Amino acid sequence: MRKSSKYYWWLQIGGWGLLALILILINLLFGQRVDEQFLVGVLVKVLVGILVTHLFRIYIHYSGWLQLPVEKALLRLVIGVLIVCLLDTVIRIRVIQWLDPNAGGSKYLFSTRFLLMTVENGLYIIPWTLIFFFFHYIEANRKQQLDTLKLEALVKELELKTIKSHINPHFIFNALNSIRALIDENPLRARTAITELSNILRSSMQTEKQETVFFEKELDIVKDYLALEHIRFEDRLKVQYDIAEDTLTQPVPPMMLQTLVENAIKHGISKQVNGGTVIIVSRMKNNYHQVLIRNTGKLDQSANEDGFGLISTRNRLQLLFGDHANFRIREVNGNMVEAELHIPLT
Amino acid sequence: MIKAVIIDDERLARNELKKLLLEFPEIEVIAEAANANEGIEKIDSLNPDLVFLDIQMPGKTGFDMLAELDKAPDVIFTTAYDDYALKAFEVNALDYLLKPVEPRRLADALHKLHLEENREKEGGEDEIQANRSLLHEHDQVFVKDGERCWFVKLSDIRLFESVGNYAKIYFGSNKPLILKSLNALEERLDEKVFFRANRKHIVNLRLIEKIEPYFNGGLLLEMKGGEKIEVSRRQTVKFKEMMSL
Repeated sequence: MRKSSKYYWWLQIGGWGLLALILILINLLFGQRVDEQFLVGVLVKVLVGILVTHLFRIYIHYSGWLQLPVEKALLRLVIGVLIVCLLDTVIRIRVIQWLDPNAGGSKYLFSTRFLLMTVENGLYIIPWTLIFFFFHYIEANRKQQLDTLKLEALVKELELKTIKSHINPHFIFNALNSIRALIDENPLRARTAITELSNILRSSMQTEKQETVFFEKELDIVKDYLALEHIRFEDRLKVQYDIAEDTLTQPVPPMMLQTLVENAIKHGISKQVNGGTVIIVSRMKNNYHQVLIRNTGKLDQSANEDGFGLISTRNRLQLLFGDHANFRIREVNGNMVEAELHIPLT
Repeated sequence: MIKAVIIDDERLARNELKKLLLEFPEIEVIAEAANANEGIEKIDSLNPDLVFLDIQMPGKTGFDMLAELDKAPDVIFTTAYDDYALKAFEVNALDYLLKPVEPRRLADALHKLHLEENREKEGGEDEIQANRSLLHEHDQVFVKDGERCWFVKLSDIRLFESVGNYAKIYFGSNKPLILKSLNALEERLDEKVFFRANRKHIVNLRLIEKIEPYFNGGLLLEMKGGEKIEVSRRQTVKFKEMMSL
């Protein structure tokens, strides 16, 4: 409001000042007399104009016309403009009479003069009103756009938070069940399994605060995760790592690799009666950090491309690294599914 | 003694359940299976009284497996955490255990089972168990139709309708499709209860509401659910014979 009021006064004074200048120029150009009486007339015209339009503005704000739909505002506006024009005329006549009591006796009848002055006022007031509404319309539009943007940003932020904190409960309970069985069978393994599970849970809670983490940290979680899944699946799950040393300090979004590996298990290995292999590759390639997750299985065409997990992975990458980051998933060699992350080097 | 089979793709999960079942001497675990196909094999050959069934398994889910059986045994589902399956349970009030299984919940589930078994015994079930391949009216089938699934007692099914290779079965307000032909069903169903009314329909004789004469010396049956079924002329003779007995 403050800011727009400042604009308003600049426009108001500038506009009416410009009008005064034009009137004077026209008179000069056409060789008319520019005497004291004329200048006073112009001054009165401008000051009264500012006064009545300002009153008009106050009234418009007060009665909330700006919020009305166009068709409803239009009729009110026409009547409003008419009243303002009349008011302007009345005040000007009063002021002129007060300044110079003799001026009234000019060549025109009072009613004719009144009508002429009102029409003349219309010439200023109507454009004023149009400009006023145009300005407000643009302002409102811009504000709305800004609000939409803010809302979108908020939604994205919330989305990111929920993705980050997401650890599949199915996994947690299955892991706990396996560990319970291990307690009798292999107490030592049961102990490490509990450590692995708590590592995963802890990092899934901590990552909510961070935008990116070192790839090494992310890989540690995945190793713990796969170790636990190995307890569940036993010989049905084989894991291979092919990790280049120099990629370990690259920044990656937290829990992204974890989510993709989890999907490889959920949609790949757990559906194969004889199990399969998960291969994780991380390497530098043409100024990109490339991460591949391959698993035995087939790409489920019906569900996949639009799945929440894949879309949110793509969105997260885009938010963090812009258009240069990339993610895709495809079938290779007919019996493997490959998810690929492309992250620009920083 | 209740003969039980455990079907779960994880060895440790099966072991854990076996260990828990040691507390219940009346339950004897006679076999284990690691996937749906093995499960079907074991159920068909051993005819257990009770099956502990994991839902998410490689190849086929537990639900898919049950739908393939001609006759469903009593089932207690086991699952870790699974929105989809939990929804199915809520709708149909099937009994299920969440892994890791709480011993008290297991006791409850088994207790419920005993009650049902006793009730069936009281109903005078010991008539003739001779022909195992014939479906008794107290037998239940598992029906899966999209996301919904049911255990249905044959005695609650009032009508089988042929729809191509499928059969539509009518019970309560439901009429899901099962992948079985009407002819195959007719062979397995007890003909004292289930009567082939015409080329397209098998009706449950105990769930007929009204019998009216129809054209050409045929009959029109109105079932308890309001369906009107025509009995062909040839079958009408047989029908009258059966009903006069």
